[in-house]
Amino acid sequence: MNGRQELVTSVAIVALLALAPVLSPLVHLDISIVSEVLLFTIAAMSVNLLLGYTGLPAFGNAAYFGLGAYGAALSITYWHAAFFEAILLGTLAAFLGALLLGPFLLRRRGIYFGLLSIAFGQVFYFIAYRFTDVTGGEDGMNFPRPPIGIPGLHVSLQQTSFYYFALLVFVLIVLAFRTIVRSPFGRTLIAIRQNEARVRYLGLNTDRFIFVALLISATMAGIGGALFGLLINFAYPLMLDWHQSGDFVLTMILGGAATVWGPLVGGFIYVIGKDIISTITPLWQIFLGALFVVCVLGFPRGILGTLAALRPQKARSAALDPNAAFDPHAPVEIGRGV
Amino acid sequence: MLEHLAPQLFNGLVLGAFYAIVGIGLSLIMNLTGTINMAHGSFMTLAGYLAFTMIARGSSFWFALIAAPLVAVVVGVLVERTLVRPLYTREPFYSLLMTFGLSLIAEEVYRLIWGANGVPLSAPAALSGAVSLGFMSFPVYRIFIAAVLVVAIIALALFLTRTRFGLRLRAAVQDTEMIAALGTNTQLLYTVNFGLGIFLAGLAGVLAAGMLGLSPTSGNALLMPAFVTVIIGGMGSLFGSVVGGLLIGLAISLTTLFVPAASEVAMYVLMAAVLLVRPRGLFGEEGIFG
Repeated sequence: MNGRQELVTSVAIVALLALAPVLSPLVHLDISIVSEVLLFTIAAMSVNLLLGYTGLPAFGNAAYFGLGAYGAALSITYWHAAFFEAILLGTLAAFLGALLLGPFLLRRRGIYFGLLSIAFGQVFYFIAYRFTDVTGGEDGMNFPRPPIGIPGLHVSLQQTSFYYFALLVFVLIVLAFRTIVRSPFGRTLIAIRQNEARVRYLGLNTDRFIFVALLISATMAGIGGALFGLLINFAYPLMLDWHQSGDFVLTMILGGAATVWGPLVGGFIYVIGKDIISTITPLWQIFLGALFVVCVLGFPRGILGTLAALRPQKARSAALDPNAAFDPHAPVEIGRGV
Repeated sequence: MLEHLAPQLFNGLVLGAFYAIVGIGLSLIMNLTGTINMAHGSFMTLAGYLAFTMIARGSSFWFALIAAPLVAVVVGVLVERTLVRPLYTREPFYSLLMTFGLSLIAEEVYRLIWGANGVPLSAPAALSGAVSLGFMSFPVYRIFIAAVLVVAIIALALFLTRTRFGLRLRAAVQDTEMIAALGTNTQLLYTVNFGLGIFLAGLAGVLAAGMLGLSPTSGNALLMPAFVTVIIGGMGSLFGSVVGGLLIGLAISLTTLFVPAASEVAMYVLMAAVLLVRPRGLFGEEGIFG
């Protein structure tokens, strides 16, 4: 996909998303569900940076997502933070969480990194679950959506205006994400996925690159989590649980690893699928589990990657292009050479 | 103080033995094939529920203690041959994702069959009651659990070091291609190894059901400490898993006594400390998993 095609596709996607408040009632979908898709996608993108691009099995990103939500919840409940302050503090909490865990996670690579991510991620779950006096424990925290906090604007966002705010944040994050993965820094991350030893031989401190990638990833997940908390006015321990991390990973793989738009495709399928199936049957979890199995066995490259494989040979020659990893139509197997 | 501390320490050791045996099963599967079996807890729960049903239908506890894990092994081997095997040639990450999906399915299926609420699995009369030691008393069932787990671990150690098949298994961990070239059927090794891990999980599952209760998620509650066990003890070391499990069991039981709210967090603090001093774990062998 060349630059022009990419621009057209991106503008079309954003335009469709901008029309969502008009379109969603036509299919009996609440706009807050579409907000949820965007925020879930942000979390899946945060996994994509670590897993899709850098090849690290990031199975603990729910910790940062939940820290974002709890950061917002705690700051609103105890300090009466305004809307933007709550988002900022939630994001900061996630960033600090990664700053704290990073030195431990960095000690290992490959599947061991995954194991450490799962295990350390659970620390925050148990803190939220156990310190009932502060966090409400298993019941979680209910909190109001505070006013925006800009002088002269003492309103709090309603569902539709909240959606547009979430869309704005989403577009900014996608732009930032695209810039990051195309920068020399992003190329280095991809090189680390392909062969970390070689990158180290070139004289680059791969630990430092991975740490920065982790911090960026956690910050993204934190923004998603803080906004998600504000969307549903609620923070609960299961947001921090490894099952939640697994769902983010699935969302990312489902759409297509190491693609810019893959997580959005996955996010739509996951969130809306869950919404529809949960109203029909209480067995949503069986469908979700089956989705994991089918996705892993049937189309590990995700929907966008599999579509690319079905295209004629001419289009696929793009896969030889060094930029291919950024191209949604270039099939990528994750985790190479870790 | 002692009358509180001693039973708590003993409970910690029993709990630790559970973590050790689940951790060993995980470690066996992880070492040979690189598969992090997220469904390990589901197999524990399955064996627990099967034992519950067998006992409810009139079989003896002793029969169920052996038969339920064996049925779980049959299910496990079927899963390995059909779903996990195609992933051996792929990045290990995919099998993690797949077994995670399986655990989600299993949890819901258990809920459908045995209900969302916990069911009790009571130990036989011969194992109820307590033994008094003067300054404290031990529940007989917990002593029994400790004995079974110790026997299982010793039997496994003998199997791995003293039998030809065990030697092949350990050789395959070192160099699968070489052992295949020498004429060993590695696919069979993988399957037996997987079954062995599931058997240990099943055994722990039945025993734990009698002590900690049985619910659709009860096995998964033991899974996370088992991960931490493997990380602390070191990947690839059976002895490490035993030490790691016991350490965590003690850490949890002691913090439960003094700071109950921090009991789960304690094992993560322990894990962080071990990782700082020895990233490969206490007895881990460098090289098997980087």
